[in-house]
Amino acid sequence: MNSGFIIAAIAMLIGTIPCGIVVLRGQLMSAVVAYQAISSIVVMVLALLAEGFGRSSEFEFPVLLAVLLLGSGLVFVRFLERWL
Amino acid sequence: MKGRDIAADVLLGIAVVIVLASSIGILVMRGPYRKLHYVTPAALVAPLFVGLAILAQSGLTDNTAQMCLALIFLGIAGPFLSHATMRAIRIRETGDWRPWAGEKHARRRS
Repeated sequence: MNSGFIIAAIAMLIGTIPCGIVVLRGQLMSAVVAYQAISSIVVMVLALLAEGFGRSSEFEFPVLLAVLLLGSGLVFVRFLERWL
Repeated sequence: MKGRDIAADVLLGIAVVIVLASSIGILVMRGPYRKLHYVTPAALVAPLFVGLAILAQSGLTDNTAQMCLALIFLGIAGPFLSHATMRAIRIRETGDWRPWAGEKHARRRS
């Protein structure tokens, strides 16, 4: 176990709190922007936890989330653009 | 503590500072356009430092390769998502992404 990576993951999770406040209390498009930031931070958190706990098989999660981030984000924003 | 541990910790510290500063920027700035500027450091620059930290810690392993893959996808997704989000904000505000007649003139006056 590498404590430096786990501490960094916890610190980054703390960094999602301001974004979470914007998601909960901000206007719709501001919330979307904060949601995108949270998604990117979670990619890093998953990678840090996988490295910190020494589980190389769990490195698939950040890769998958990074792939899905593009597709889901574009679809979400496209719907917000016109219909939601 | 080895040199590579120190290097990894320093790189992780930089990444954490970038993420925290970006999060505070997203909270403090007014309006989605301004907030969007603070997504890029958290989405592109901080993951780069995380990848470098993993490289410094474990060397050229499959972990590093997978993090590089995630970095590539994040690097592709970031600009596309930012552009699509700005376009969506603009269309929600004005109904079209193109500037309306006299918009530049009106903005210069104000």
